[in-house]
Amino acid sequence: MKNEQPKSRNPLVIVLGNKRWQFITIPLFAIVCSLLAISVIILLVGKNPLVAFQSLLQGSGFLPKENYSAYKGMLTDFMDTLDALTPMLFAALAVAVAFKAGLFNIGVSGQMLLSGFMATVLVGYSTLPAGLAKPLVLLVGIVSGAFAGGLIGVLKYRFNINEVVSAIMLNYIFQYIISFFINTRFVDPVSRQSRNVSEAARLTLMNVEVGAYKMRLPICILLALLLAVALQVFLSKTKQGYELKAVGLNPLASKYAGIKVGGNMVFALTLSGALAGLAGVTYYLGYFQSIQPGTLSSLGFDSIAVSLLGNSHPIGIVFSSLLITAISRGSTYMSSTVGVRQEIASLVTGMILLFSACSGYIRYVVNRSGGHKNKKGGKQA
Amino acid sequence: MTTVIIDGLSYALPLLIIAIGGIYSERSGITNLALEGLLGFGAFTGGLFVVLFGPLFGVNSQAVIYLSLLVAMAGGAVFAMLHALLCIGFKANQVISGVVINIVSLALTGFLTSQINSSVFGKPSDKFMLSVFPRVTVPGLSKIPVLGAVFTNFYMFGPIILVLVLVCWYILYRTRYGMHLRACGDDPQAVDTAGINVNKTRFGAVVFSGALSGFGGMCFAYSISGTFSASVYMGAGYLAIAALIFGNWKTMPTFAACLIFGFARSGAYELVKGLQLSSSFSDLAMTLPYILTLLLLIFFSKNNRAPRALGEIYDKSKR
Repeated sequence: MKNEQPKSRNPLVIVLGNKRWQFITIPLFAIVCSLLAISVIILLVGKNPLVAFQSLLQGSGFLPKENYSAYKGMLTDFMDTLDALTPMLFAALAVAVAFKAGLFNIGVSGQMLLSGFMATVLVGYSTLPAGLAKPLVLLVGIVSGAFAGGLIGVLKYRFNINEVVSAIMLNYIFQYIISFFINTRFVDPVSRQSRNVSEAARLTLMNVEVGAYKMRLPICILLALLLAVALQVFLSKTKQGYELKAVGLNPLASKYAGIKVGGNMVFALTLSGALAGLAGVTYYLGYFQSIQPGTLSSLGFDSIAVSLLGNSHPIGIVFSSLLITAISRGSTYMSSTVGVRQEIASLVTGMILLFSACSGYIRYVVNRSGGHKNKKGGKQA
Repeated sequence: MTTVIIDGLSYALPLLIIAIGGIYSERSGITNLALEGLLGFGAFTGGLFVVLFGPLFGVNSQAVIYLSLLVAMAGGAVFAMLHALLCIGFKANQVISGVVINIVSLALTGFLTSQINSSVFGKPSDKFMLSVFPRVTVPGLSKIPVLGAVFTNFYMFGPIILVLVLVCWYILYRTRYGMHLRACGDDPQAVDTAGINVNKTRFGAVVFSGALSGFGGMCFAYSISGTFSASVYMGAGYLAIAALIFGNWKTMPTFAACLIFGFARSGAYELVKGLQLSSSFSDLAMTLPYILTLLLLIFFSKNNRAPRALGEIYDKSKR
């Protein structure tokens, strides 16, 4: 490659090489790769992958199904997806905030469980009117989530404990202790779950009649979208957000520049925990109405994938969470109509993650083979 | 007391071999959060081997059990190559790669287990049935008061693990390869200058850690439920990471940490049983190893010294 401008003839490189669009083309490339990989698996099982993907979209309310039961329609399916999207969006934002500060909050599931449980016990079983109960649920969720997240931050800052290890330990501790309390005090003898919270405290309005449909109305989705924008403004326009990112990019340099590294880490994890808390209340007191003892939601772990896919960018996360939620929501319908196992949905998520993890490398390879006139073009020999 | 020791050891020893795997990877400079996924995938391949080829060996064959341990090692090693490829070849963030491997492993084995069960054996099931792992009591030694429990009714994988650990310790501290491996984790540039391929050494270390994790995972599959199912993913990999960090990336302290976890777990179970509390209290007992880990980490993390180049992507041109 002795040309001054090494130009590749590979169309893929040309498309992906445009740096202005890389923020969108590279994740799309990762998604396409994973869908191809999954198609191979579905073909091996002996089913048509295109039909399977179509039914995924039908199940999540993006395409019309062939028939619907009474009061149901594409719109109700879509609202169900939005209802599932709300906690996912909060959780992915939680992961992203921590990640911007160079920290990995793998404890989102535990923080969600804690906040969901606290809100259920403190507000969900009370007889408060809806106007009072719903804001209180949000408040309890934020506070208990922030506490759990901040705890990880303090353990890291004061005692030098790796945040991944402490978060995992706390996940298990929350899981078992809350399971104990639910089983001994708050259990519903029939469902073996915690007793249902009151409708007044629930963050999703059920069976709202709109036209000919009865649908769910997730009121917190607006809050989630608003927070995504607010977070973006916070990270890009404020001093505190700048410090937080600086700590993530280079803690040592930040320290020399006079930024309090420890304080910022604790702050980032507290903020992350608060967001995870919102995810918890919208999950356990919105999408669901009760808590299953002894399990952590897989949503907390999937949110890592979502955040990664959205490049830890709050606006990107809105789209990536919509994608992953649609896949998992549609999987039930897919398995019933096409006969592909439901587990394939989590496999799709896993594959997307796998390819997204390589996206840095894809970008590196594409830029090196120089599809686009870049500034460093002349340097390479 | 005897049960506490017996159960504690049968939990601590597989944990130890997984942690040793983690030590290999991390001493070479690659953060390995993927242990959980690796042990699960190893156990999956081992379980698959048992259900596919078990009938060929006859009903009470011991050979298939020991062979399945080897197959599990191979399975773990192959899956670890993915982690090595992502971290070394594709220069991905090692923490992200580890978490990704765990998620993919859980999803993939869950899918494959049900798919294979339905399409090969024609039954809807999400687990592979395994045979019973042989347990042994040493005649004379088991009569010693208290300590005799160590030699009573133990799984045969116990002594195998101890031998493996000894071999691993020898390789890591007494051979040239071990020295190169440890040097890769502290100062890869120096290793490169000495003419040793850093990436190859690290690749080998990660694959080896996968093999050991697979072995440990298979032991768990035998001892905990006698099946391969999603229950293998109960956080042993993460616990192993906590053990090796608590053990300061050294063999003997890590062994001690694993023993503490094992005995805390079995002790808590016995306590719940001894006090005749309802079964819900075993949930509280289950938290004991994790609370203990956190407390121990609070006291011991301050003077921990991780390998200096741990988690850093090796860049030849960097000084």
